[in-house]
Amino acid sequence: MEFYTQSAWLIPIFPLAAFLLLIALGRSYRTTAMLLGSAGSLAAFVLSLLVLFERLGPDAVDYSIRSFKWIVIGDYTLRLGFEVTNLTSLMLVVITGVSLAVNVYSAGYMKNDERLTVFYGYVALFTFSMIGLVLADNILLLYIFWELVGVCSFLLIGFWYARPSARAAAKKAFIVTRIGDAGLLLAILLLFWYMPGHALDFTSIYNVFHEGQSGVMTSGITTFIALLILLGAIGKSGQFPLHVWLPDAMEGPTPISALIHAATMVAAGVFLLARTFDIVSASEAAMQTTAYIGGFTAIFAATIALAQNDIKRILAYSTVSQLGYMVMAIGLGSVSGGIFHLFTHAFFKALLFLGAGSIIHAVHTQDIREMGGLGAKMKTTAWTFAIGALALSGIPPFSGFWSKDAILTTALDENPVLFVVGLAAAFCTALYMSRLFFLVFAGKPRSGHAAVKESAAVMTIPMIILAALSVVAGFIETPWNGWLSGWLSGSEAVETVHGGSSIAAMVASIGVGALGIYLGWLFFVKKSIGSGFMAAKLPSLLRAVERGYYIDEWYRVIIVKPLRGLGSTLAVFDEYVIGGTVRMTGALTTAAGRFAARLSNGKVQTYGLAALIGCIVLIAVIVGRRFWS
Amino acid sequence: MLPSYLTMAAILFCIGLYGALVKRNAVVVLLSVELMLNAVNLNLIVFSKYGVAPSLTGQVFSLFTITVAAAEAAVGVAILIALFRAKGTVNVDEYDEMRR
Amino acid sequence: MFNIEFNGEFAAFFIFSTIIVCGAVLMISLQKVVHMVISMAGVFLGLAGMFVLLEAEFVAFVQVLIYAGAVSILMIFGIMMTNHQDAGGEKVLPLHEGLAAIGALALFGLLFYAIRTTDFPDPLPFQGGEENTMKIGQLLYTGYIVPFELLSILLTVAFIGSIAIARRLPEKINGASGGDNAGIGGGPAGPTAQLQTKEAE
Repeated sequence: MEFYTQSAWLIPIFPLAAFLLLIALGRSYRTTAMLLGSAGSLAAFVLSLLVLFERLGPDAVDYSIRSFKWIVIGDYTLRLGFEVTNLTSLMLVVITGVSLAVNVYSAGYMKNDERLTVFYGYVALFTFSMIGLVLADNILLLYIFWELVGVCSFLLIGFWYARPSARAAAKKAFIVTRIGDAGLLLAILLLFWYMPGHALDFTSIYNVFHEGQSGVMTSGITTFIALLILLGAIGKSGQFPLHVWLPDAMEGPTPISALIHAATMVAAGVFLLARTFDIVSASEAAMQTTAYIGGFTAIFAATIALAQNDIKRILAYSTVSQLGYMVMAIGLGSVSGGIFHLFTHAFFKALLFLGAGSIIHAVHTQDIREMGGLGAKMKTTAWTFAIGALALSGIPPFSGFWSKDAILTTALDENPVLFVVGLAAAFCTALYMSRLFFLVFAGKPRSGHAAVKESAAVMTIPMIILAALSVVAGFIETPWNGWLSGWLSGSEAVETVHGGSSIAAMVASIGVGALGIYLGWLFFVKKSIGSGFMAAKLPSLLRAVERGYYIDEWYRVIIVKPLRGLGSTLAVFDEYVIGGTVRMTGALTTAAGRFAARLSNGKVQTYGLAALIGCIVLIAVIVGRRFWS
Repeated sequence: MLPSYLTMAAILFCIGLYGALVKRNAVVVLLSVELMLNAVNLNLIVFSKYGVAPSLTGQVFSLFTITVAAAEAAVGVAILIALFRAKGTVNVDEYDEMRR
Repeated sequence: MFNIEFNGEFAAFFIFSTIIVCGAVLMISLQKVVHMVISMAGVFLGLAGMFVLLEAEFVAFVQVLIYAGAVSILMIFGIMMTNHQDAGGEKVLPLHEGLAAIGALALFGLLFYAIRTTDFPDPLPFQGGEENTMKIGQLLYTGYIVPFELLSILLTVAFIGSIAIARRLPEKINGASGGDNAGIGGGPAGPTAQLQTKEAE
């Protein structure tokens, strides 16, 4: 009996109901809103857990139901439905779990915000969309939820819309991700066109691309579709060169940064790649591109994170970098590695963001240079943050170590260049995390925040739970226990033996992690190397890194300026040609109206004259036809 | 001969039309309308002789037309007199009740 | 162009058409209304002559009787009953008149073009010239009896209606109601008085 699996469609219903109730309630029911939003995600979480436990059973088969007819065009029927696989159920638990934690945390973090109910409504809508995205059984339905998720992201980034920077960030996020969405849409259209029977469900896609029906699609088309799907993933997951929206998205409330822009939505791109891995893996070129984009993004964003001073921007670039790891893993053919990292990363990055929120809540600034010495006053935050930072830096036995190690092992086997890149990124990760941690929690207070105190329990408890998960989540897949990859691929759990490469990768990974932390300690605690060391030597490089390698500026010069120019040219055209035509039409109509008004003077003779002229014109036209036809 | 008669009728009709559209005196407008009706009569009679199938039907129809025209003239003059009583003028420019 | 053989019918047609066109143009261009009616009577008589030319003697008689007789007299009565003196003092509307002239000319052009381009087949010989009146009578009382009777009803209704419209309203209706009838009731008083003074002169 797969009772819970079959009722998996109920999972998105809970947040949807919460959302509908919340928007119907109005702004005055603040406590109700908190309870309602949390209850919705709690119900979804419990059901997701039940589904997951059912999937853990030995004879779990993929379950999909496609009963709902959506569009019927001739012989073609587009059906909607949901599908539960092991990957899906794992994602469900991640999403609903983090959503629950964020819901509870927001009760403390947002408690003074005027639009609290709206906030909870948005979060519920987002949770619904994200669950729908994961459960969707065909790629078109996935795309619908994909866009819904984007809308929620837009709404929540611009939640404090009174701030101009928040408005700009929301617009930027929406427009930049739109490029990726357009790519995904094109991929879906191409799939629709070339798939046998226009099937869009994942089962047919799996059959076509996996069973080696190579005659169905040419390799060129396959590569093209795979690259377009990759473009969608790049947009959503903030990969280079479309990563620019993610750091700016930190204008949103911090719980949102934790939920959407660290744990779940940005992982949707990775999830998409994993879901359509059959297509991507069918094209060698697409796999290479995916791997290199991921690897480049990982090192690129990690170096930028080194020079940032805003605590949330550091974490944002760190997210970009870690997503790069996941994409790289998928590009190297290790879906389980990518998903494993997604799984662990969701917990420790959400934890880090919640910790950052707790800090911001206490000191009311986001600049790490103004913090310091908070460790003594905010013990819970400091400890949980330390766990998250260690997990992110890849220090055993925290979860980040195992997942990162899985990716690096694959990289060492498949592509040594990417292994080196990954290792360098891991070093940078350890360095910027230690810098962040030591600047915030160690040393003396650098500015007068006398009234700093630990956040309320409603905020710290989610952090503690996430911290616990960050510690233990890594043990589901270790070099000695390949349970997760076996489970994900649906086969029996096989003992994966990486042999020497695994040991080497592990040693290297621990080495660079420890080195990074040690260097950070030297820089920022012991001050044996002055923190101004780099700034003195290479000021221009530092500034370039601080500005994110001027990517935004490049976009401004290459895309925004020419578009603006084109826009103003078109505006002139619009003003004088189209507007002129419109105004002329209006003036002509007015003149005709005046003329007609003068004509209708009530005198029969005028009317008769008009009728005569009309008749003559009619006759002339009818008679004249024989001359020009 | 047929085209000549028809042209004659057309000339008469157009003169009547011009008069009906231009003249200010209502009596003259009525007269112009009679002129147009006569042009039509002429056409009927011409076709009754020179038409493809000549017969007396055209003449009978012209008799009907004359009768109706007579009735029209009588009613027209009566309305004219009533209007003159109401407005004190026979100038058609003053008859602009349709505007209201 | 016109390829008409110059025979007696054409001569008669030419004379009658001259009379008709001259009468019509005079009717349009004369200043006094009475003169207009007289030139109109000329048009009617010319048309009657043309009807005779077309072997429609009975219609010609009817034309003389009804148009040249009754309608012209009716119009003269109409002129007498109304104020015929203001026919001369017309204000000129050049745009209106120009447009009307252009329209009328264009219509004539179209008709002329249609007449000239149509290829009329040669007619069958027309009989019925001798006993025209009798044949029309037979037709009217056999084939066209229903329209004939309907026309008699129409004439009766029209004449009774004309009398009803044109007769002078009783004085009590004129003066009875005050407010809303004032405008209408006030109107007839002036011209009636005028008419009476003119009759007195």
